[in-house]
Amino acid sequence: MTANKSDRVTRETAATRHVGFTVNGQYHEFRVGSGGIEISPTHTLSWTLREVLGLMGTKVSCDSGACGSCTVIMDGKAVLSCKVLTIECDGKTITTIEGLRDPKTGALDPIQQSFIDHTAFQCGYCTPGMIMTAKAFLNENPQPTEEEIKDALSGNFCRCISHYQVIRAVMSVVEKEGEHGR
Amino acid sequence: MGDDYRFIGKATQRRDAVEIVTGTALYLDDLRFQNLLHGKVLRSPHAHALIKKIDKSKAEALPGVKAVLTWQDIPDWKGGTPRKLRVLDKKVRYVGDAVALVAASTEEIAREALDLIEVEYQVLPAVLDMDSALKHGAPLIYDEFPGNIIPGGTIAFGPNCLKGVVMGDVEKGFAEADVIAEGTFGYENIPNALPPEPVGAVAMWEEPNKVTLWSTSQAPYMDKGTLFHVFNRQVEIRCIGNHVGGSFGTKIMCWQVQAYAVLLSRATGKPVKVMFTKEEHMAAFTLRIGSRIHARVGMKKDGTLTAIHGTWYVDSGYYSFTTQAQVAVGSGELMIMAQCPNWDLKNIIVATNRNASGSTRGFGGQELKCSFIPILSLAMEKAALDPFEVLKKNYVKPGGGYFWRDGNWYQYRGIDYSAAMDKGAEQFGWKEKWKGWLTPTAVNGTKRLGIGVGVHGNADVGEDSAEAYVQLDCNGTATIFLCAAEHGTGQKSNYAKLVAEVLQIPLDRISMTPADSLITPFEFGPVGSRGTYAIGSAVINAAEDVKRRLFEFVAPKLGAEPQDLETVDGVVFVKGYPEKSLKWRALGYDRTLLGHGRFEPDFTVCNCMMSFVEVEVDTETGKVTLLRVVLATDVGQIIDPQGLEGQLNGALGSAGIDSAIFEETILNHSTGHILNANLMDYKWRTFTELPAMEHVVLETPMPTHRFHAVGVGEVATSPGPSAVLMAVSNAVGSWLHEYPVTPDRVLRAIGKVGYSARGGKK
Amino acid sequence: MKQFEHHDALSIEEAVALLSDYEGKAKIIAGGTDLLGALRDEVFLEYPEALINIKTIDGLDYIRSDEKGLAIGAMAGLADIVKSPVVKKEYQMLAEAAYSVATPQIRNMATIGGNLAQDVRCWFYRYPRRIGGPMVCLRKGGKFCSALAGDNRYHSIFGAAALSDISLDLGKVRKGCFAVGPSDIAVALIAMDASIVTTKRSLPAELFFKATALSSTVLDSDELVKEIEIPKLPMGAVQRYDKFTLRKPIDFAVVSVASMLTLNNGVCEDARIVLGAVAPEPVRARKAEQVMKGRIVDEDVALEAAEHALAGSSPLRMNEYKVEIAKVLVKHAIWG
Repeated sequence: MTANKSDRVTRETAATRHVGFTVNGQYHEFRVGSGGIEISPTHTLSWTLREVLGLMGTKVSCDSGACGSCTVIMDGKAVLSCKVLTIECDGKTITTIEGLRDPKTGALDPIQQSFIDHTAFQCGYCTPGMIMTAKAFLNENPQPTEEEIKDALSGNFCRCISHYQVIRAVMSVVEKEGEHGR
Repeated sequence: MGDDYRFIGKATQRRDAVEIVTGTALYLDDLRFQNLLHGKVLRSPHAHALIKKIDKSKAEALPGVKAVLTWQDIPDWKGGTPRKLRVLDKKVRYVGDAVALVAASTEEIAREALDLIEVEYQVLPAVLDMDSALKHGAPLIYDEFPGNIIPGGTIAFGPNCLKGVVMGDVEKGFAEADVIAEGTFGYENIPNALPPEPVGAVAMWEEPNKVTLWSTSQAPYMDKGTLFHVFNRQVEIRCIGNHVGGSFGTKIMCWQVQAYAVLLSRATGKPVKVMFTKEEHMAAFTLRIGSRIHARVGMKKDGTLTAIHGTWYVDSGYYSFTTQAQVAVGSGELMIMAQCPNWDLKNIIVATNRNASGSTRGFGGQELKCSFIPILSLAMEKAALDPFEVLKKNYVKPGGGYFWRDGNWYQYRGIDYSAAMDKGAEQFGWKEKWKGWLTPTAVNGTKRLGIGVGVHGNADVGEDSAEAYVQLDCNGTATIFLCAAEHGTGQKSNYAKLVAEVLQIPLDRISMTPADSLITPFEFGPVGSRGTYAIGSAVINAAEDVKRRLFEFVAPKLGAEPQDLETVDGVVFVKGYPEKSLKWRALGYDRTLLGHGRFEPDFTVCNCMMSFVEVEVDTETGKVTLLRVVLATDVGQIIDPQGLEGQLNGALGSAGIDSAIFEETILNHSTGHILNANLMDYKWRTFTELPAMEHVVLETPMPTHRFHAVGVGEVATSPGPSAVLMAVSNAVGSWLHEYPVTPDRVLRAIGKVGYSARGGKK
Repeated sequence: MKQFEHHDALSIEEAVALLSDYEGKAKIIAGGTDLLGALRDEVFLEYPEALINIKTIDGLDYIRSDEKGLAIGAMAGLADIVKSPVVKKEYQMLAEAAYSVATPQIRNMATIGGNLAQDVRCWFYRYPRRIGGPMVCLRKGGKFCSALAGDNRYHSIFGAAALSDISLDLGKVRKGCFAVGPSDIAVALIAMDASIVTTKRSLPAELFFKATALSSTVLDSDELVKEIEIPKLPMGAVQRYDKFTLRKPIDFAVVSVASMLTLNNGVCEDARIVLGAVAPEPVRARKAEQVMKGRIVDEDVALEAAEHALAGSSPLRMNEYKVEIAKVLVKHAIWG
C-alpha cells in the first residue's frame, strides 16, 4: 500500500462521513461505519429501507436486479433498490410504496386504487414494485399507449400472471387522467 | 347459468387489497421478532460425496455466532417418502445439499461463519440423470434404494395407494385397435414454479419440546403433520401462516428450511430465521418432477381408445417427498382424460444427484400428460383424427370412472364438460384453423403458424378433509376460524363471501382468524384446486351449523320453529312475516355461537381445463412466439370473477405453458450445478410478450357444492405445454420430442442444425 | 456483501489516483448494476478492497453533437441515450442497442461506460459462491474453461480468448475462455467506427475490446473510460441493429448484429458488419464486408455475405444453432 493512499484514505475517514437523504418526505441522516445503527458501505438501499427504516413495503425477491420487486423512485426515476448502495444516496429524494398515499388525507394514489378496482394482483408480492414502476412512468409520460405501459413494466417479474389486469389498471388511470385533462 | 346471489359471483374487493397495494401486507420476511438470530446454510460443492471431517471451531469462535450445527450435532430427524433423508447427513447428494447450519446475530456474520467451516469430502461418482442412475452398477444415492429406484406408494394415501394403472386386457385391446402408435417423449426440463417470495421459516423453540413456526408455506396444518413425523413425533408444533408470496403448489415442501430454523432455535434458545436467497430457492428448493414415458396406444378409427401400455419414468432428484403422491394423482388424472378399458401403465421413480423435485401446480398430471399426449397424438395422426375431437371424446363423462390415489375405483358423478370444450373450440376457431397433422395453419414467408390443444382435469377438487368454525356475535358479526394462508388465489376473500351468502350479512361484518394451528381446526391446505369444494364446503357447513344454532336459540323467542326462520343483515325473522323478528343482539352480550363444519373427501367429481394455443415459428431462427391462448372450462358457479380471471391467466407462468416455450432449469451435466439459478438466466414471461388470452367459462351447476361451484385454479397450467408441443410440431411439420421448444431444437427439427448434444433423449 | 471501503471521487484525476493507490484491488462503481451482483455472488477471484464511486464526478454524463459527430460522457445513462433526440435521429443504431439492454429500471441506473466495461455473463464464471460455488473455471485458476465440458449453448462459436493478452488467432485457441463479450453497445459502436477515450488513450472501439480470460477490454486496472466519440455517419449510411434473444427484455444477446452500409444507388460503397455474443469480443465480419463492396445489394449478396461472416466459426457441442441464427441476422442486416 502506498503512502499516497493512506493519506487520502485517512483524510477522508478522519472527518466522519455522513449520508443524508429524504424518504417519503422525511430526511434521514446516517453515520458511515459498521456499528449497529450506522450505514455500512456494503448496505443496499433495499436493506436500509427495510431493516433500518422499517419500510417493509419494498419487497426483495431476486436481490440481483432482475425482477423489479424492490423498485423505488429516486429523484424521479424508477430504480432497483437492491442495486443501489445506501452510501451513494447522499442528497437523494426517494419515494417508496409507503409514500404514495396522500400525506394529509391518507387517500390512496389513483394507481393504488386502480390496482384494487381491477384486482391487479394475486399473491401481491411483486405489487409494490409494480406500482412504483408505473408511478414513475406515468409521472414522466401521463398519456402513454398500452404498448408503452407494457414496455415500462417489462422489468417487473410477476409469476401469478396478473399482467393483463395490471395493464388494465394502469390504462384505466391513464384514461381517467385524460378525461380530467379535457 | 348460476343463481342470483348477493355476494357469490359478484366482483368484490379482495379483503387484503389495501394492504397489498400500500405495502403493508406482511409476508414472512416482514415480521419482526425480539432477539432474532439469522440462520444460514453451508452447501455442498459436490453432487455426491461423503463428509469425512468437519471442523467448525473457527466458525464457532467468530463473535456473534451462536450455533454451528453439523450432522453430528442434531437428532436423527428424517423426512421424505419413505422417511430416509436426514435433515443433515454425513452424505451430500446434490450440489447445494445442506452441510452445516449457522445461527448468528446478523446475516453478515452468519455468512462469514460459513466460510470458516472446514469440510473434507470424499467425492463419490454421481448420477445426474435417469439413464445413468438406472444403469447396472450405478453408484447408489441411498443404500436403502437399490438401483436408485425409490419405492412407490405413499402411506398418506392409504395402504392401497395407486402405483400405476392395470385393468382389462391390453393385448386384447391392441388386437381391437385400428391403429397402434408407440413412442417416447419427455418433459424433463424440470422447470421451477418460482414464486417471487423465496422460502423461509422462523422458529421459536420452547423447552423441553415445543416449537412455534412462522413460514412461507400456504398450508400450516399440513406442515404441522409433516414435521410431527420428521421430528420423530416428539415435538409439539404450532404452525402460523402469513401472506405468502406465491406458491404454485411448491411451498408445501418447506419442511427442510423449517427444520433448519427449528434446530437452530433449539440450539440457541432464541427465535431463528432462515430465509433462502433466490439462488437457494432456485437451486436448493423444489423443482418440477422430470417425466419421460415410453408407451403404446391402441385406438379405433373413431378415436375410441382400446389399450394403453407403457412405463412412466419419473426423475425425483435426490429424494422424494411428494413424488409417489404425484405419480398416484397423475396416473388417475390420465384416466380422467383418456377413458380406456385396457391399461398397463407402470412407473419407476428414480433418484438422481440433483436438486429435488416435488409438489408443483399440475402435481404429476401435468408432467405425465406433457409426455403422454404426444404419444396419443401419434395414434391420432395415424388415424388422421382431429385431436380436439379425440380429446373431447375420451374425457370422463357422467357414468365413467377412474382409479384415484387411494387405489379405489370412482364412478364420476360430475357434469359433462363437452359443452365447455365445444364452446372453447368455437371461440378459438379450431375447425377453421385445423389443417391436419404436422401441417401448419398458415405460412407467411419464413413464419409458420401452428395450433395445438390439450386437456387436463383432476379429482383432487374434493381431496382431503377440511374443518372450519364460524362464530356469531350478538353485534351481527361473524368470525371464520380457518387455517388458510393467503397465497394469491384470493380464497380467503372467497370464504368470507360464502359465509356472507349463508348468513346474509355484509362482507365487512366478517372477520377471519390468522392461519394458526393453535387457534383453528384441521385444514389440509389450499392445494389441488380443493379450495372451492373441500375447504369451501367446510366453511359453508360451519356457517350453516351456526345458523342452525342461531335459529334454535331464537325460535322459542319468536314462537316459531327453527326451520321457519331466515336471517338477513343480523336480523332473524319468520319466513313470510318480516315483522316477527329479532336482532342477533337477542343472543345477549355474553354469548357467542359456534358452528363447526367438516368436509369429508370426495373423489367422485373432477374439474376440467382445455387449452387451445396458436404459435408462430420463425423457420429462420427457430424462435417460437405464443400468439394466442384460449382456455375453456366449466366452474359450475363463479365465486369471484376477477380472482378466477387471475387464476386462469396463471396458465402462462408458474411453470405452465412457458415450460414448453423457454422455461427450464439448466443442470450442468458434467458437474451437477444448476447454471441458471437466477432471474436473469431463468426465463420468465414479461409484460412485453403477452399472447392474446381468452377464457371461455361456463357455469353448469355442479351437484356437489352448496353453491354448485368447482375449483379450477390449479389446473389452468397443465394442458398448455403439450398443446404448445403439438402446435410447434404442426407448424414445422415434424414432431419435437422435448421441452422447451427453444431455437436449437426447432432448427434441429427442421433440419437446419445437425448434431446437438443438448438435453433430451431420443 | 462482504466488506469493502468506499470512496466518492470528485474528479477523474482523483478516481485514477485512488485506483492506482489500491494497486488493482479497487473497482470503479458507476451504475453498479453489474458490479453489485458480482460482489453479492462473490464472483471475483479476488474480492475488491474498495469501490470508487464516480457518480460524484460532475459533468461526465453529457450527450453532445456537433458537425464532427457525437460525444458521449462515460456516465451518460442508457435511458438518456435511448431518449436523446439526436441519438434517435442520427445514430439510431446506438439508441436501439441501448434500448435492447436489460430492463427499464436497469437502463435508468446503468451508464454507457459501465456497459462497455462490464464483466462477462458466463454462467460458470458467475456461478454464485453460496450454493456450492465457485465453479473453478479458467478465470478462477482452473485448467480449462468449464464451457468445454459443460452446457455451452450460449458460449463462443469463434473459439476462446487466450489466458493472457498474447496475441493468438482466436479461431484456433481451444484452451482459453469461451465466454462471449456481453456488451450490446460495443457492437453498435464498432459498426459506427466510434472511438473510446480513456484516461490514458483514445482508440478505435474495435481495439478497445480485446478479450482475454481476465478482461473483456484493454483497460488497465488504473484506467477508466472517459468518453465515447462517434464520427458523423456518412451520407446514405443505412444503420441496423438486431439482437436475438429468447425474450425481448432482460436477456443478454444470443447473437447480435450491428451494421452500417453506405449505399449509392443501391451499390455498396462501404460496409461495416459486427457480430456480438458470438465470440469473446465483438467480431468484424471483414470478409463479408469485402464481398459486398462495389456490388448492388440484393438478397443473393446478403446470403453470400452471411456465409462469409460465419465461415470461420467453430461451434461447440451445443451451440451450432447460433451459427444459423447469426447468418440470418447478418442477412437481415444487409437485406432487410
